[in-house]
Amino acid sequence: MKTLSVASGKGGAGKTSIAAALAFSLKPRSIFADCDVDAANGAIALRAESAPGEPYRAGPGYMINPAHCSSCGACRTACRFSAISGPPETDGFSIIPELCERCAACMDVCPSRAIETFVKTAGMLYVSSGGPGIPIVHAELVPGEDTSGKLVSLVRKRAQEIAANLTNAVSANATGEETIIVVDCPPGIGCPVIASTTGADLVLLVIEASASGNRDASRLVTLLKSMKRQMVAVINKTGLNETMDRRARGLAIDSGIVVAGEIPFDPALRSAEESGKTWVSAAGEAGSATRRALRNVEKMLESTITSQFHKE
Amino acid sequence: MPIKTIAVASGKGGTGKTTVAVHIANESAKYRKTILVDLDVEAPDSMAYFPGARRINDSAIVEVGIPKLAPALCDGCGICAKACRFGALLALGGVLTIDSQICKGCGRCEPLCPHGALTEAAFPVGEVSLYRDDRLTLAEGRLKIGDIRSTQVIEETKRIARSRDFELEIRDCPPGVTCPTTHAVHGADYLILVAEPTEFSHHDLEAALRLAREMKVTTGIVINKEGFGMASLEDLAAQYGVPIIGRIKFSREKAQAGAITKMWSEDPVAMEELGRILDFAIGASAAEVHNQ
Repeated sequence: MKTLSVASGKGGAGKTSIAAALAFSLKPRSIFADCDVDAANGAIALRAESAPGEPYRAGPGYMINPAHCSSCGACRTACRFSAISGPPETDGFSIIPELCERCAACMDVCPSRAIETFVKTAGMLYVSSGGPGIPIVHAELVPGEDTSGKLVSLVRKRAQEIAANLTNAVSANATGEETIIVVDCPPGIGCPVIASTTGADLVLLVIEASASGNRDASRLVTLLKSMKRQMVAVINKTGLNETMDRRARGLAIDSGIVVAGEIPFDPALRSAEESGKTWVSAAGEAGSATRRALRNVEKMLESTITSQFHKE
Repeated sequence: MPIKTIAVASGKGGTGKTTVAVHIANESAKYRKTILVDLDVEAPDSMAYFPGARRINDSAIVEVGIPKLAPALCDGCGICAKACRFGALLALGGVLTIDSQICKGCGRCEPLCPHGALTEAAFPVGEVSLYRDDRLTLAEGRLKIGDIRSTQVIEETKRIARSRDFELEIRDCPPGVTCPTTHAVHGADYLILVAEPTEFSHHDLEAALRLAREMKVTTGIVINKEGFGMASLEDLAAQYGVPIIGRIKFSREKAQAGAITKMWSEDPVAMEELGRILDFAIGASAAEVHNQ
């Protein structure tokens, strides 16, 4: 079992489309783990039938019971996150859920035990089957929830369980090929991105060939290097500006990252998506560029597997 | 006159949040004191649209107070570790370990220590920079690479922007619908959600509309890249009772300008539409401020 995480730094760089195309070309030994739990589009890209989900519960939520509150304001003084509103702006004291970090510092200082916890359902976890027979683990976080890192870890754990079962089935068929978990990462460089790339055997860096795409990818490369992740790059949306294309190549080369391929900015890719296909099935040059790039990524992944095998 | 705040967010990344935010901020600065606040602290990109901007402060370092241990006073009782909701403190075999990367700086542990072994030390998690470009002021929050405390950097950037005297504040928010976005949107009088006509964006716009409803912030939708995809967003606008306040047509020329973070000044139709979007948002947020 090997894990490949697809990340970009910038949003809208093409992570989900490329991750879905890769899972499609690796079937039947691929599992798709959609870790962009804020904006989970993997199930759309792979035309998954939505399966019944199971609730995901985060840690407790906090609230002030007005019947017990003595309005002393000690909680507001203790809160470092300005998450408690009170007089003179509002009549009584209450917790602002959007700002509450749920540290419980307020509970320690409340003399009248007015702060109570309650169980929150923070989201749903689903295991679906993509149109081409690819298992997809995906989740939907309740908008405004704050535990995406934890949910990412849960998605990855579930994908690993499925991969373990699939590995057994594949060994029984004696094809000998390893199962691959394709992780679709969220944008940015924060907590859920770290959770999505930790322990990955290879990170596929999608560099959008634009000023913002290059800058955000460069920040991500710094992060991933500090995490000692091995990387391979695909440059997406080439052909809009030559300088940016060159800069994207330069970013990869200067960081010692192999460029597996370049995919042009081409409406044919959108048309493929709209007819329910992934980018590998797109018509024309964009489709063949995608296929070439992903073949190289697969080769890199194979060599990663070999090197790890030798280490053991 | 109270300051008005317009937040620009999207759910899905790459739909044009930054593009819309920089254009309307630049337009607004012609008529009133305006600050553009980049709260996409993991990937701040709005500054790139203003190559002539100059720095007007020494960047302010954002710090959180994390516990510092006096080992001689600690007996490893683990009361602090048990209280920490973030797993930043670990007491094993009478030895306490502090993980400064995970600590949120809530300050809960220090007063709980029965031996006074915990004091507080400042730990840098990011920085806030202020720039000036012609008439527009810009505040940019930036998370330190490898850090996870985005929300602390966002709150500090908001505080610094708010401490100055502006008539209009325009916030470029991060993608997604969870904690960084809720912090970035909190306190705004009006929310612009930028979407594109694709199925991905449709799905993520719905999540953003649910968040807006939860946060009770008046919202309008801008459809960007119209004609780029075939998905319709009208159903969501109707379902959530949110108006579509602007439509910007897709063109390869605008995509090319975006690739080099250049404004759309050569596309008068788009520029006019962005001006109308700004006027609408200001009118709607003025009504909000009045109602408060």
